[in-house]
Amino acid sequence: MEGRFATGKAWILDRGSGSGRGSGRTLEEAFDLESERLKAFIEDSPVPEVFSAHLEMLEDQLLRDTILRNVSGGMVPVDAVIAAEDEIMGLFLGIDDEYLRSRVDDVRDVCQGLIDCLEGASPNSYESLPPDAVVVAEELFPSDTAMMDLDKVKAFVTAKGSPTSHVRVIARSRGIPAVTGADISGIRSGDLLLVDEANGTVEVNPTEERLEAVRSMNRGVSVFPEEARRAVLDSGVKVLGNAGSIKEIEAVIGAGAEGIGLFRTEFLFLGSDNLPSEEEQYQIYKKAVEACQGRPLTIRTMDIGGDKTVPCLNLPKEDNPFLGMRGIRLSLSMPELFKEQIRAILRASALGKVRIMLPMVSRVSEVIQAKALVKECEASLEASGTAFGKNIEIGVMIETPAAAFVADLLACETDFFSVGTNDLTQYVMAADRGNASVSYLLDPLDDAMIQALRIVFKAAREKGVPAGVCGEAASEPKVAPVLCEMGADSLSLGSPALIGELKGSD
Amino acid sequence: MIAKKTTIKAPEGLHARPAGELVKLAKSFPGTKTLISNGAREVSAASVLSILSLALKKGTEVEVKAEGPDEESAVNALAGFLDSLEG
Repeated sequence: MEGRFATGKAWILDRGSGSGRGSGRTLEEAFDLESERLKAFIEDSPVPEVFSAHLEMLEDQLLRDTILRNVSGGMVPVDAVIAAEDEIMGLFLGIDDEYLRSRVDDVRDVCQGLIDCLEGASPNSYESLPPDAVVVAEELFPSDTAMMDLDKVKAFVTAKGSPTSHVRVIARSRGIPAVTGADISGIRSGDLLLVDEANGTVEVNPTEERLEAVRSMNRGVSVFPEEARRAVLDSGVKVLGNAGSIKEIEAVIGAGAEGIGLFRTEFLFLGSDNLPSEEEQYQIYKKAVEACQGRPLTIRTMDIGGDKTVPCLNLPKEDNPFLGMRGIRLSLSMPELFKEQIRAILRASALGKVRIMLPMVSRVSEVIQAKALVKECEASLEASGTAFGKNIEIGVMIETPAAAFVADLLACETDFFSVGTNDLTQYVMAADRGNASVSYLLDPLDDAMIQALRIVFKAAREKGVPAGVCGEAASEPKVAPVLCEMGADSLSLGSPALIGELKGSD
Repeated sequence: MIAKKTTIKAPEGLHARPAGELVKLAKSFPGTKTLISNGAREVSAASVLSILSLALKKGTEVEVKAEGPDEESAVNALAGFLDSLEG
């Protein structure tokens, strides 16, 4: 599968509307036939529970009573089924629960099956499915996809349906692109269709140039395979977003992130000629809290140093900047500057759930010093009557081997961990991230890394401290499930598309 | 006619599977009519569709009723089953 777009020949599902064109079957015979059909599906289908549920509905007293009542009121059987379907759907439509509302699809599938049996519509039509088919339909039900040879299906296009509807679930599990809510009126059987799930578009008979352009655009797009996606979701891990600006917060929250696991604040310090004041920082953090729409925001204090230099600080040049004054080391060496940032964060925490995260920690004393500064800032805000959130959570990045080794001690002093896999890998493996000739060592699941991660997650578990991951590794389909299995409680990802994919939204 | 009240405790509310089990239980008392109500509407406890249409969420108070030869054991079984759902 090529991921989220596909090309193929349109194959239009014709249910044979044929009202009035009866099969001569009685309602009782239709019930029996549909029941047999469902039982056969239960035997053959990879998703038997779907059809067990349908069989239960077919045998349901409410459905049967409603249809029979309609028939005795003078309706022909087909109309009686349609009217019963409408009536039962009416019971469900007002329900404020997505799961229950989607049961409506099951009711309609069962009713459609009954109507097919009454009208004598032939379910064998799927045998005419050509290879490379794009199945186009008003709507697709579980029984439809169960009858198709899905190996022949390149994509699904339906006029009705939502992201939670059955066709999307099946499509996702098989890696088949699907577009629901499409305008299918202009599509004729045999048309070449270009289906782009990510953009929700269907192009009819595109030019060769257009096809080539789309193919090259989609090359290299990483897609979480279904197996990895399931493993991640089933672990119950929280999916958070990484951001380095307000726009990026909006993008990842919009994609469905449950919060911000890493808000980088370096952009406030880099690239400007003056250091940002407490007030300027507060205004930005305030916007960040608002952009989170009530979800938690983890602000990482300035991670300056390493490859991120700040011209206006006039810091001395270092031979090994990655082993030099970086992150918390630099912050603690300039407490006045650090306190301005802390005060701005504390003020923003009055507006929503905010957490402080310290980068580049390598010993417990750094955390204790930072916490003392936070206390000092709280006291000064209290004294001046400025609002701030009480008991702010303070956590640490685990990105040095030292931090991993003393994770149990750090856990006693902190509220959460966040593993920065990029730097942790570079430091554990002693391999420069910027040096291509040693890049083969930068494997987040190298034996040494597994050992380091084990120490961290074990300490977190024993001390009851949540431990997440905010590095690139969390975005890798091979690595993310391993991190979840080892005990990560959250994955913080930078790609809105990936977040959307994991959260199952568009 | 016997009635008993209980509260839905399952975090997700009463979904298809437990509703199906409830129906099986209700049908195991043939000849006894069983009903379930969310206060606003009362439906047959022998129909999954009817039960689902009540949209019973966590915290909803429900009343089960039964009338017939096995009414006492039916009510106890249905209420007991709902009580046992903790998610």
